[in-house]
Amino acid sequence: MDSQQITTLTGVLDKKMNRQLKQYLDICARCAICKDACHQYVATGDFTYLPARRAELIRQIYKKYFTKAGEFVPALYEARDPDENLLDELYESTYACTGCRRCMYYCPFSIDTAWILSVAKAILIAAGRGNEMLGQLADASLFKSDNFEMFRDVIVSGFKDIEAELKELTGDPSAEIPVDKQGADILYVALAGAHSILPAAAIFHEAGASWTLSMFESANYGFFLGDVEKARKIADRFMDEAVRLGVKEVVITECGHAYRVANIFHEAWSGTKHPFKVRHILEVIDEYIKDGRLKVSRCIDVPVSYHDPCQVGRNGGIFEQPRDIVRALATDFRDMTPNREQQWCCGGGGGIVAISEMDAFRLKSGKKKVEQIKATGAKIVASPCENCRLQMEGLNETEDLGVRIAAIMDLVMECMDLPGRKQAAEGA
Amino acid sequence: MSDDIKVDLELDLKGLLCPLPMVRVSQNITNVPVGGVIRAVATDPGAMADIPAWAQSTGNEVLSAGKEGSEFVFLVKRIK
Repeated sequence: MDSQQITTLTGVLDKKMNRQLKQYLDICARCAICKDACHQYVATGDFTYLPARRAELIRQIYKKYFTKAGEFVPALYEARDPDENLLDELYESTYACTGCRRCMYYCPFSIDTAWILSVAKAILIAAGRGNEMLGQLADASLFKSDNFEMFRDVIVSGFKDIEAELKELTGDPSAEIPVDKQGADILYVALAGAHSILPAAAIFHEAGASWTLSMFESANYGFFLGDVEKARKIADRFMDEAVRLGVKEVVITECGHAYRVANIFHEAWSGTKHPFKVRHILEVIDEYIKDGRLKVSRCIDVPVSYHDPCQVGRNGGIFEQPRDIVRALATDFRDMTPNREQQWCCGGGGGIVAISEMDAFRLKSGKKKVEQIKATGAKIVASPCENCRLQMEGLNETEDLGVRIAAIMDLVMECMDLPGRKQAAEGA
Repeated sequence: MSDDIKVDLELDLKGLLCPLPMVRVSQNITNVPVGGVIRAVATDPGAMADIPAWAQSTGNEVLSAGKEGSEFVFLVKRIK
């Protein structure tokens, strides 16, 4: 690697440097408590996935270029150039990380390894070594919004098909999936497919909510890639839509990272203050049930457990609402151990489900989640994150768990008194 | 017209939820030669926008995209 390239990469680190990052890089005592917190290290015993080791790669560059001791006596202070070998190691340990931040929870100094790895991703992207698949998916999202007129008809046509299902399900010919509705209270931001639209539409309809569906999906591969500019632009699509429509709140579907991007990062990235609040759909559903706006029966009589997605729970602060919803639907709720802030990551976050070369590793890393699910004896595991569900469905198959992995909205819909479903059952 | 096109790889993406159909096409595009064609069948309507957007942004080509009953059928040509 030539000096110009090294200057570019160390320049990225310099640009990201602030007091907090400097503290994270200076303070690690190598106590290795993080090794017992990381599901990937626990499952594999591979040093590559030890949180402190992941951070150490950035720390080595930091020592070489940001400390006098490392600059003058690099061998003694474990300082290192960002050479090709280091970048190879950095790529593997960084894009494998799900960003669950369980290591931070257990670290005596609260070192945020995921933060350090966001810097690692920026360095990898500057070196032309960002993950290609995540880059393609981010670019596809941006292409769709930059050329929206090209896709408008096909997107709206898809919504109309789902609306027809909604009318049938609710037995109400006037039921609708509104789009572009000026002055609606809620802008609901779903995923690209029907699965996150129909249940929410049925719930909003039954609750008599004033809502409109976003034209854009909430999934943000720019965030997984580690490209803040792309991540901001992807989120801008529905944030700008929310401003244009004058909604009171943006409600994010059952998706972990999209909720965190919208609720925690976007204002800082865009330098603007949202004129609306951002909530997760489960906060809204919980409110509807508790206010009596949404009637559900306790229709599930098999044991149900709940997996806290890291970006919704530990990193998003939503713990009780999903549990209260499940308790309203099921006679036998069984929490996993540990749970809430200490919940084990399932292994499916951070975009890793899209990286096929990591498939075998990803499933292996779900060891702790498999143990937790088995210990509950649950027949249904509910979780409000698409990546978590994909991972747990994979674990269900490979480990023969014999459980049903479900979105919470699907369970809610099953416990709603929907005339269309009753008619279909009677006709069957 | 699609009957005349030689398909190099068939992808059954039925039951996969978006964005997975797009992810699977992307993961498999290098499994056909340049100029080769993937025929992908999905059931999630989101794929109707996702797969063409992915193709355009990566410089590949969707030869056709259409609904056949409850399925969405794509012919995707690898360009580079």
